[in-house]
Amino acid sequence: MSTGNSAGERGDVLDWLYERGKRRAAQVPGFDAERLMGRARAARDAGAVDFWSVLSPVERSHFESAAQVREFPPGTALMREGEQAAEVMVLRVGWTKVVLDEDGQERVIAERGPGDLVGEGGTEPGNVRTASVIALGRVQALVMTTASYAAFIDEYPNVPDLVKRQTHERRTGRPERP
Amino acid sequence: MTQEPYGDPASLLRSVLADLARAAYGLLGHYADAEDAVQNGCFKLVMAWPRVAGLATAGEQRAYLIRIVANEALQILRDPHRRWEHLGAEAAERAVTHHSFEDEIQAKEDLRLVWKAIGDMPDMRRDVVLLRAAGYEYRDIAARLGVNVSTVRSHISDARKQLSRTLPRGWEGA
Repeated sequence: MSTGNSAGERGDVLDWLYERGKRRAAQVPGFDAERLMGRARAARDAGAVDFWSVLSPVERSHFESAAQVREFPPGTALMREGEQAAEVMVLRVGWTKVVLDEDGQERVIAERGPGDLVGEGGTEPGNVRTASVIALGRVQALVMTTASYAAFIDEYPNVPDLVKRQTHERRTGRPERP
Repeated sequence: MTQEPYGDPASLLRSVLADLARAAYGLLGHYADAEDAVQNGCFKLVMAWPRVAGLATAGEQRAYLIRIVANEALQILRDPHRRWEHLGAEAAERAVTHHSFEDEIQAKEDLRLVWKAIGDMPDMRRDVVLLRAAGYEYRDIAARLGVNVSTVRSHISDARKQLSRTLPRGWEGA
């Protein structure tokens, strides 16, 4: 045996893990920084789960009055990767998939359904869509322009924080570590 | 030689990606899992960027990211649904042929307790131990986390005591 722990002798688990880690260091894979960042940004912009549920009744009625109801047939795009992001949307009916184009291959990074906010990239002017959102069935969404959303957030400044926290907790199942 | 903080998350990531991959792969030993750990770390980096951008030095920003990725790797190690076929791969990696399947199960169970104990450690000790378990030398851990080598040494020493209580029979998995 060449493990250094002869029979009957107690091994130290941390030493063992360290040796294993050192062996693995010889075969570390290379990762693509641009791809990792692209996915991370797209995941951020894939929006907020249950956005609608964090809004108060007053905020909801304000949102509804400032937004426009739009219908999307199955398979159509609510927004496309690479386009200017000039709107945010809250899904009211139906499900969508959030997809990235990776060298011609479609990669689904999230599914979004009723109550979810999509196209968070459209909350700031000048952003480009980092992912496409495609209707899986018939979808009805509340569509708000970047300018109207800015006015909405101006009036209810704690909304984005609530949404961020909720998104994070949904994704990881625990509060963010400082 | 204090370096100016990075102005955007992509430059920070590019400068430390090789190190993140090493830490994640050192802990996980599996390409897809290591990529998941780094990917989850990137997501947190993007979400937390306004705060990370405000850190005083590039070194602090790099330390933030490697700590996040090491902890993401720990989450994956602690996932009870982690792919069972890794067990065979890890046995092959150790080139152990004389151990029975029961020994492998026991080793797996012991490791589960070890990762849980590490997960329950205070932040800095946990981060030090994770980098050690990824195969880093004390001085490299110190440089990456921005602490003294003596701090690393004392955290490791405390962690050893704690882990020997976790596995009172000692570690026999190797």
